[in-house]
Amino acid sequence: MILNKVLYHSVTVFDLITAALIVIIAAVIAKVLSLYLRRFLKEKIVKEHLEIIAKVVSYSIIVIALLMVLPILGVRLSGLLVAGGIVGLAIGFASQSIIGNLISGLFLMIERPVKIGNAVDIDGTAGIVEDISIIATTLRTFDGLYVRLPNQNVFTSKITNFVANVARRFEYVVGIRYSDDADKSVAIIKNLIEEHPLALKNPEPQAFVDNLGDNAVNIIVRIWSPATEWYGVKMELLWKIKQALEKEGIEIAFPQRVVWFANELRGWEGKRSEPRHPDLGENA
Amino acid sequence: MQKDRGGLVYKRDCLEEHIEKRLLATKGKILVTPVEPLNKPKALTQYLLVEFEKTLAIEPEGTEKIFLTFPIEIAVYISPDKDFEVIDILTLTRQKFTLYGDPGNGIICKYWKSDVFSTMPSVNPIQEGLMELTVANTNAQWVELTKAVFNAYGMKLYYSNTMVSMKASMNLKTRNRAETDFLDSPLKKGMKKSLEVYAARKMSITAPKFIMEFGL
Repeated sequence: MILNKVLYHSVTVFDLITAALIVIIAAVIAKVLSLYLRRFLKEKIVKEHLEIIAKVVSYSIIVIALLMVLPILGVRLSGLLVAGGIVGLAIGFASQSIIGNLISGLFLMIERPVKIGNAVDIDGTAGIVEDISIIATTLRTFDGLYVRLPNQNVFTSKITNFVANVARRFEYVVGIRYSDDADKSVAIIKNLIEEHPLALKNPEPQAFVDNLGDNAVNIIVRIWSPATEWYGVKMELLWKIKQALEKEGIEIAFPQRVVWFANELRGWEGKRSEPRHPDLGENA
Repeated sequence: MQKDRGGLVYKRDCLEEHIEKRLLATKGKILVTPVEPLNKPKALTQYLLVEFEKTLAIEPEGTEKIFLTFPIEIAVYISPDKDFEVIDILTLTRQKFTLYGDPGNGIICKYWKSDVFSTMPSVNPIQEGLMELTVANTNAQWVELTKAVFNAYGMKLYYSNTMVSMKASMNLKTRNRAETDFLDSPLKKGMKKSLEVYAARKMSITAPKFIMEFGL
């Protein structure tokens, strides 16, 4: 019978089919179990931990299945240990980059400079971390592109994690006219920040005259916000500041240059008492 | 809540919000109750930081009972049978968040500033609740307190027509470290227990206590 036909050593066709079935069943169980775990634990633990648990369970089942299959296929595990060094050396040379990525992946999982769901910038590619597998890290860029970065590159690159800390600061420079009341402007801005729920109370926001610019009195505004919310707050507050200042008659200054004429312009004589732009000096 | 084409429609038009939900149910109970102040404007944190209007100093090995106010939110639940589901949450209090600790290791908290009262003050029950806080100083030195941070998932709220209340404790472990917890009992007899949002969602709260380790 064909099932009893010996292929090599004492391994028969039946053994081969059994081994294949075990691997297939293990792969199916691993897939089903990881899917079930993802569904069951979805709302109970954070996504990043869930992914790690699902992967550990899935890989463990497959490794156990492979260890069960090897003796069926006539491979003695004790022999493998002896051959391991030589095989490892060969594999190492043959697949340097894969091993490099794999080891980098393990270090990334241990060190955890980025987590699934984090907004990051890795070597100039900014986006949300979608997955960290054993070989590569997947990002979804802010414009919706899929980017796969080999773990070796990730590990050796400069990583900026925008949400590693719970809060972050952003700032604006608000330039008002020299004729406007800077103290009043600062008070308006501080009041507006105080009213915004997502502008943190502590660390205290700052608003102060930072420098006397060429065209404006520059007020610097520094606001702390939860790291997950800062961009929305930043977008929202600047326009509100502009509107609130204008409501109080304070205007954002625009670039201007005062030109002095050696001789008065013809037709200007006798008109000095006419109302003029508040930012222009009397002698302009 | 209106009946519309055989179903129910929940509508709310206030506080610059327009909420309209069609409920696929023909019968059920509506429950309106005060809940933890963690959902508005966004559910960002589970912690509530109450800053004291004035610094409080507690004598060595002393125990003091004080009253604080805290913000509340109002939840609208619907229940076809036993389980309640939140359909809307609103609040009439000013919303603010703060950071407790440093940006690297700290936590984002809902922020509230309260006077410290030695007797029960009167508060507006649709805006604020009243907390009885028992502060125990186990140290041999005076301890100064400027704030209290709570894991608000563990809040045990009780309410009546005139008051929303809860009881909490604060155990000062060192001069810079304290443990806060909630007690499951009403401030006055006859108060009803609120159905907290996190209890309704059947979330298991394993550690309602909170260790204040970034200063008092």
